[in-house]
Amino acid sequence: MRTAKSKGLALCPKCHKVNKVVSEPIQCSRCMGSFYQRKYNSLQYTFAWNLAALLAFIPANLYPIMVVYQLGVPKEATILSGIGEFIDHGLYPIAVIIFTASIIVPLMKIIGLFVLVYKVHTGMRLKPNKHSKIYHILEFLGPWSMLDVFVVALMVTIVELGFVTSVAAGPAINYFTITVIFTMFAANSFDPRLLWDKKEIQSKEKNALKTT
Amino acid sequence: MTQKKQPKQWVACQQCDALFDKPLLKQGQSAKCTRCGSVLVERKVDSIERSFHWSLAGLILMLPAILLPLMGVTLAGQHHQASLFDCVLVLIERDFFMIASLLFLFAIAVPIVRLSGALYLSYSFKFNRLKPSLLNFFRAYHHLDHWAMLNVFMLGIVVSMYKLLDDTELSVNLGLLSFILWLVCSTMASAALDQDYIWEELEQAFLEPNTTDEIA
Ligand SMILES: [Zn+2]
Ligand SMILES: [Zn+2]
Repeated sequence: MRTAKSKGLALCPKCHKVNKVVSEPIQCSRCMGSFYQRKYNSLQYTFAWNLAALLAFIPANLYPIMVVYQLGVPKEATILSGIGEFIDHGLYPIAVIIFTASIIVPLMKIIGLFVLVYKVHTGMRLKPNKHSKIYHILEFLGPWSMLDVFVVALMVTIVELGFVTSVAAGPAINYFTITVIFTMFAANSFDPRLLWDKKEIQSKEKNALKTT
Repeated sequence: MTQKKQPKQWVACQQCDALFDKPLLKQGQSAKCTRCGSVLVERKVDSIERSFHWSLAGLILMLPAILLPLMGVTLAGQHHQASLFDCVLVLIERDFFMIASLLFLFAIAVPIVRLSGALYLSYSFKFNRLKPSLLNFFRAYHHLDHWAMLNVFMLGIVVSMYKLLDDTELSVNLGLLSFILWLVCSTMASAALDQDYIWEELEQAFLEPNTTDEIA
C-alpha cells in the first residue's frame, strides 16, 4: 500500500494538506501550523492520560456525586446508587442511559485505549480495520460521559427551594469530570495510523521470510 | 483567473495514511479511502451559503437560549426556575468552581466561539473579503472541534426532567425551545462548513502555487 509516510510525505492534522517531510516538527505550507508525521509520542501520551483517568475513576465512584437535602436532612447518592434509584422508580430507559454514559462508556474507553496501545506496541493479532473502527466509536462516545455532570449541575441550580429541598454536588463530581476530560485527551493523543503502520511492517516481514 | 498547470496534488487518508491522487469532485460528492473506508475528501453542497445562514440564526438564538429559563419546579407552593446562565452563576455561588467553569466552557463559550467563527468565515467568503489572517483563524477554529457539548447538555436536560417529574411539579419554559433550536443551528452550521474547500480557496488566494511544491 502506498502511504504518505512511505513517500516521505505527511498530512497536516489541521488543514489536511500533504506536506513534504524535511525535518520534524514539520511546518505546514498552508496553515503554518507545526506538526509531526505521526502524533508525537502517541502511545506514551495515550497511556499516561489513560492511567490518570483510571485513577480518577475510582474516587469518582466511591464518593457521593449528589447530596439531596430534604427538610434539612442530607441524603447522599453515588453514581451507582443514583442509578439504583431510577430502577426503584421503574425509570428503566433513564437508568440505562445514565449507566451507559457514566459507567460503561468511561470504562470501555479506558480499557479499549489500553488494548489499542498494547496492540500497537506488540503487534499481536492486529486487525487495523476493526481496531480503527473501535477507536472511532470510543472517540465519538467520549463527550457523552459528561452527561452526569450536566445533570448534577442542572439539579443543583433548579432544585433550590430553600429549606424544603435543595441539592448540592458531592466531591465525586470533580473526580468524574477529570476522568472524562482525561479520557478525551487520551483518545485525542492516540494515532490510528500507527495500527496500519504496524500491520504494514508485519506483512513486509512475512514476505521477506517467504522469499528467503 | 489564469491558472498555471497545477502541480500534482495528493490527498492522504486521515485514518490510515494511504496516499491517493487528488480526486476531482463535484458538489455533493465525496471520495472514500480504499484501504479503510473512511471519507477522504468531501465537497459539500452550498457550503458557504448554508453555514452563513445557520450560524447567523444560531447567533441570534444564542441570547434567548442562554438567558431565558429552561425549566422550573414548583413544590409546596414555592416556585423556582433557572436558565443556562443561572446554572453557571449558582454553581459559582455555591463554590463548585470546577463544574461551573466546565459548564461555561463546553455549553456556552465553545459553542459561541464556534458559531461566530463559522459566521466570520462564511461571511468573508460570501462577500469576498478574504484576508491572510483567515489562515490562522481557521487553524485555531479546528482546536475546538471536540469540545462543544450542547447535545450532551440537551440529554442532561431530558434526564433531569425525568428526575424532577417524580416528586415535583415541572414546568417547561421558552428557554428550552430556544436552546433546542440553538443546538440544531450550531450542529447544522458546523456540519455545513466545507473545510477542504475553505482551505483550498485560502491557499489559492494567499499562497504562491510554487510553495505547494511538486512532489513526484
Ligand atoms: Zn496545515
Ligand atoms: Zn484510509
